[in-house]
Amino acid sequence: MISKELAKWLQTIKIGWSNQLAYKLNFVLLVIGPTLVFFFIKYNLWTAIYQLQDVDTIQGYNLSQMLSYQVWVMIVGFLAQSYNSMNLAEDIRLGRISSYLIYPFGFWSFHTANFFATQLIQFIVAAITLAFSAVFFDFVSLPTLTSLLSGLLIALLVGLLWFQISFIIGLVAFWLEETWVLRVIFTTITQFFSGAIIPLELYPDWLRDWLFYSPFPYLTFVPVRFFLGDQSFGLAPTIAIIGFWIAVTLALGRFIWSRGLKLYTAAGM
Amino acid sequence: MLRIKTYWGIYKEFISNCFVEALSYRLHFVLLLVMDMIFYLVSLGSVDFIFQHVEHIGPWHRTEFMFFISFMIAIDHLHMTFISESFWNLSHDIRTGKLDFILLKPVNSLFPIFFRHIRPGTMLNGLLPWSFLIYYGHQLELNVIAWVVLPVLLIFGLTLLTSIEILISLSMFYLVESFGINFLRMQMQQLSRWPDFIYRFYARKFFSFVIPVLLIGSAPIHFLLDFSQWQRLLEAGILLVIVWILIAFGWRRALRSYESASS
Repeated sequence: MISKELAKWLQTIKIGWSNQLAYKLNFVLLVIGPTLVFFFIKYNLWTAIYQLQDVDTIQGYNLSQMLSYQVWVMIVGFLAQSYNSMNLAEDIRLGRISSYLIYPFGFWSFHTANFFATQLIQFIVAAITLAFSAVFFDFVSLPTLTSLLSGLLIALLVGLLWFQISFIIGLVAFWLEETWVLRVIFTTITQFFSGAIIPLELYPDWLRDWLFYSPFPYLTFVPVRFFLGDQSFGLAPTIAIIGFWIAVTLALGRFIWSRGLKLYTAAGM
Repeated sequence: MLRIKTYWGIYKEFISNCFVEALSYRLHFVLLLVMDMIFYLVSLGSVDFIFQHVEHIGPWHRTEFMFFISFMIAIDHLHMTFISESFWNLSHDIRTGKLDFILLKPVNSLFPIFFRHIRPGTMLNGLLPWSFLIYYGHQLELNVIAWVVLPVLLIFGLTLLTSIEILISLSMFYLVESFGINFLRMQMQQLSRWPDFIYRFYARKFFSFVIPVLLIGSAPIHFLLDFSQWQRLLEAGILLVIVWILIAFGWRRALRSYESASS
């Protein structure tokens, strides 16, 4: 029974892998391009800030540390921020999910298996990017094994949380004609509040304190700090907090799915 | 004159259809407003947080920088309202062959392809970027001439951005799955949202002369802050003409490679 289920997952992951890489240029433009350009802008911006202003440190970051922080933001971006379930809303709107309702492999399982396929590809992209950065950027130093493994574990958990949030946003298509707006809102807010643009140390104290009651810092800032060797957040508490948010989103996803199915009319069938 | 009247008549129909469509999906309409507001506030907020720790970035202090960001979000507002949506539909139209029906229409096909879809909801958001633009312009004590040319330069920036995007989008005709080209277009927008002097020498030259996205905002703002810097504006004007020539040439080539999926 378990091996049968596992075979379904493995087969779907294989198909997901092939689908992702079927249009390679599209994949590069969709997945790798935005993260690279985001890093390129921040690399130029922070270099200009330090060099044109002639300052040594900003809130404890010198130029090398700031650029190193931005490289790790890019790595976390590759590891944790997948674009899966972008077509989920279209599947619901066009009635394509009817097939999943009769397949022996559920809708969530199918999308999660696809997410694992993407995660695998993005893991490879992240590893290549890190190797490239370590060779060509003298400000990037490889972390200790403990920092690397703890950062990796947290980033992969964040990836799962990110996927679950994207999945929930996609499910809103049961009520909304278009869900891409919600996705853009989520990404924009997350980029700002997670420390992806500027490290959270540069934020006003009151805002930073408030942010740590939300999941946002855990989406970028915390994994980056782990990669940089800062263990002050504690591995176990961090995993517990991210695990809590994953559990919340899983429960919410199940609830929305069951409510949405009651509304579903299989348009076009 | 008659031709302009014809195209204006068609455009009025586009606007009216888009209004009807927008009002059918009210929550989407509201979410678009929220999305834009968040984007504007995040753009301004990021720069504001940086300036809490530094006096200036290159030649600009906080006010000049915020004026630049306001200028860029004002361009973005017009772009989101009148242009953006059409680009997203092009890759789908090419893949499904829906483009056939547009090509058959007795107008220049570039017009319905790139100007067909309008987002009426976004129109209401114009107040925010313009308020910031006027506020920071006032703080910079812009003179009367600068205030008069400001809207013209805004339209100029929008025209340059749209022209570069049309040129990039022509590559969709050569790809089976061209959705990603829209992301390339968006990355060019991201690059243009920061002033040219933050980029290092070769990047600045490349994105000023090869893909001139840095001139969209930087050329007009440098001119508004210092009229003696008109050369960049002239460069931007020349490059705009070159982009138009490339579009005319590229469009004919692209059509020849269009395979019409539905036929």
